[in-house]
Amino acid sequence: MSLAIHTEVKEPAETPEETAKLAEKVSVRRLNFYYGAYRALSDINVNLYQNKVTAFIGPSGCGKSTLLRILNRIYDLYPNQRADGEVLLDGANVLSPKQDLNLLRAKVGMVFQKPTPFPMTIYENIAFGVRLYEQLPKADLDARVEDSLKRAALWEEVKDKLEASGLSLSGGQQQRLCIARTVAIRPEVILLDEPCSALDPISTAKIEELIDVLKRDYTIAIVTHNMQQAARTSDFTAFMYLGELVEFDETTRIFTNPRQQRTQDYITGRFG
Amino acid sequence: MSSVSATPRYRRRRWRNRLATTLAIAAAGLGLTWLVLILLVLVVKGVGGLSLEVFTEMTPPPGSAGGLLNAIVGSLLLTILAVLFGTPLGILAGTYMAEYGRYSKLTLVVRFINDILLSAPSIVVGLFVYEIMVAQMGHFSAWAGAVALAILVIPVVVRTTEDMLLLVPTTLREASAALGVPQWLVIRHVAYRAARAGMITGVLLAVARITGETAPLLFTALNNQFFSWNLNAPMASLPVVIFQFALSPYEDWQQLAWTGALLITVAVLGLSILARALSSKKVQI
Repeated sequence: MSLAIHTEVKEPAETPEETAKLAEKVSVRRLNFYYGAYRALSDINVNLYQNKVTAFIGPSGCGKSTLLRILNRIYDLYPNQRADGEVLLDGANVLSPKQDLNLLRAKVGMVFQKPTPFPMTIYENIAFGVRLYEQLPKADLDARVEDSLKRAALWEEVKDKLEASGLSLSGGQQQRLCIARTVAIRPEVILLDEPCSALDPISTAKIEELIDVLKRDYTIAIVTHNMQQAARTSDFTAFMYLGELVEFDETTRIFTNPRQQRTQDYITGRFG
Repeated sequence: MSSVSATPRYRRRRWRNRLATTLAIAAAGLGLTWLVLILLVLVVKGVGGLSLEVFTEMTPPPGSAGGLLNAIVGSLLLTILAVLFGTPLGILAGTYMAEYGRYSKLTLVVRFINDILLSAPSIVVGLFVYEIMVAQMGHFSAWAGAVALAILVIPVVVRTTEDMLLLVPTTLREASAALGVPQWLVIRHVAYRAARAGMITGVLLAVARITGETAPLLFTALNNQFFSWNLNAPMASLPVVIFQFALSPYEDWQQLAWTGALLITVAVLGLSILARALSSKKVQI
């Protein structure tokens, strides 16, 4: 398995000139995170580049999901969870107490590990979020729903049953519905927290294709346990271990010639 | 099928299993027996008195013909008022505990007190309302009766609302919050929707609980021989009429009491079955 990874890495490494042109959409600076007294993340520094896919890999419990949950401040729902440091979105610190959380989350969308359709119709699942921010005439709203479902590669499967319950879909369809719902409110960044871990290989392939298309319009971060998936879908990869960011680089580099021994050991399957 | 012979140890285990199963079935049967007996007696004694007059005539003086109309309407009215007062309060309190104050100390206190209220003897509630309403106003009234019943409704609704909302998966709340949905809309459109069947069940159970309550009404709504819509005056109710008529020496009153008891039981049974049907239905839109 570990050897196969190297053959699956796509396209040659970008030249340094290309890297220099990258725009930092999100920059994480000196970030620490605490669950009560327990320090789950220490001194994380990482960037999400505009229109690029950044993968976060590492063994269970290393803090990948925790990091993602800081970027849209979903951790704020719980007491005793606390972050310090900076997370800059287009240069503004979203960890600031003055940050409006609902606006932040509309800009930084998130798709979770388990599909979470709302107990509503397929149409309403998507229209619900849109209506919060925009007052669209019925025709425009219909168009937005259709467009979002198309972007999530789900339209063909559900176009005749938009009034059916979102819960009636299969797991893979539900997950694409969640992606459509996220895309519908036109975010700038999309966070994917192990979006394929509950899905079969065909649904996984569909979602991976989708990621490739979505990055034209969005900045994407994906947490995954599946190294092939990271290699296939991402431009950049961050390897995390025990709450620290061990290495962050272009995906090709991480999977072919990592700088750190620990990264090398992990991607070749020696631990984790 | 196979010729494997059971070891003594296995035989002993099998024997113990049979013993435990038998005891469990016997216990279940014993429990059911009383219910069946009660229903049987009620039907046998009550059905004889069922007639159109029961639903059209007032409670009579001893020795003359009459029905239970004033008591039936009184019970319905008191129950409806109690639910109208108690349900919104209960749902709001339950919502606070499960959603806004999930991690707060106040919730722990409220939950504890609510559990006490849940098991408080209803006669105490009746006395309480007597003190704060009847004694102050100087007369018994349907209002006081409805308030006493509402106090019994609240803890049931609080408890079921909180429990049902806590069952709504956290992932659903996170997913809504991740879309930038404000909390009150998450509660209204996602949490309530997912918990709706259970919350309705809670209200129905509360109705079932108060339908048969006598003690809190004795001190509040009292009774009324005549038909009355006046909420500022005493009002008849089935449980109080049953209480009064069953204790009387007159046979025709006793018959009406049996019939009234049958009506209440059937109503409560119907509500319980409805509640069960609703709560076993899968969450859907």
